[in-house]
Amino acid sequence: MHELAQLKEQFNKNGIMICFNGPFSQSIIEEIGKAVKTHLEREKIRKDAMLDVFAVYIEQMQNVKNYLSRTGYPAEVHDSAIMTIGRRDGRYVITSGNLTEKSDTAGVTRWIDTIKGLDDEGLKSLYKERIRKSHPPGARGAGVGLIDMARRASNRLSYVVEHIDDVFDFFILTAEI
Amino acid sequence: MEKLDLAATLSTPKICYCASSGILELSGESYPENSFEFYAPLISWLRQNLETLQSLQVNVNMTYMNSSSVKCILDILDILKESAARGRRISINWFYDRENSRALELAEEFGENLELPFNIIPTGG
Repeated sequence: MHELAQLKEQFNKNGIMICFNGPFSQSIIEEIGKAVKTHLEREKIRKDAMLDVFAVYIEQMQNVKNYLSRTGYPAEVHDSAIMTIGRRDGRYVITSGNLTEKSDTAGVTRWIDTIKGLDDEGLKSLYKERIRKSHPPGARGAGVGLIDMARRASNRLSYVVEHIDDVFDFFILTAEI
Repeated sequence: MEKLDLAATLSTPKICYCASSGILELSGESYPENSFEFYAPLISWLRQNLETLQSLQVNVNMTYMNSSSVKCILDILDILKESAARGRRISINWFYDRENSRALELAEEFGENLELPFNIIPTGG
């Protein structure tokens, strides 16, 4: 079987509806966002669930893009990420994967662990506290974005870290709605 | 007064001030590549012009805002609040989609501690 056919079969088996792999830009995020909306409108799901999927997709992609564009490594290697949106066990699943520097991986996983320890009220008050704080343009990290994702995904966030080499990890983040 | 008239795009809202009606309108979706850059012209317009206006009505009808846009809108509401405290007549009509359960909660969060007329108005459905 041709490898592309295999890939397609794998995607179908895992319920993946949309996948993007490669360097991406704001305009790609917007265009895929449009496709996500069109797809969800056809499925006739509740409007607020649709908006949650769209919102989590946007936050996740912009987080990854902001992170990658600030690392300052050659674009052809480090601008690249993979993203999938699919359906599994009645939930929408949004997953992203990208390279992270080991020191940054520790920061983001600690932050996700903190967020995952909170209930709805805790998430809400952390969100309100963080969003008020000045957020200088160029700040690294995904402070408020991850809290917003957690609120919309009822805290069903999870991550996997794959070791690449001494400097980099491959960081995979999944949100379920 | 400098003109303020930005058309909506896929990821940025329409922003428009109409001098004859005295209404500042923000409507659409907001998830620009850089929210701080995108909202900077509106913030500087407000800082330059608010004091010369007798009154201002702000109509906000945003169907989606990413987190950095929310931060920018909160900064804008702070500017409006300060100006109202100095005697400007400022009111806000905040429209939300009644089919979106999260939108009402968000509207209420925006209206907290604002100390100026903040009308939450459902649309659609």
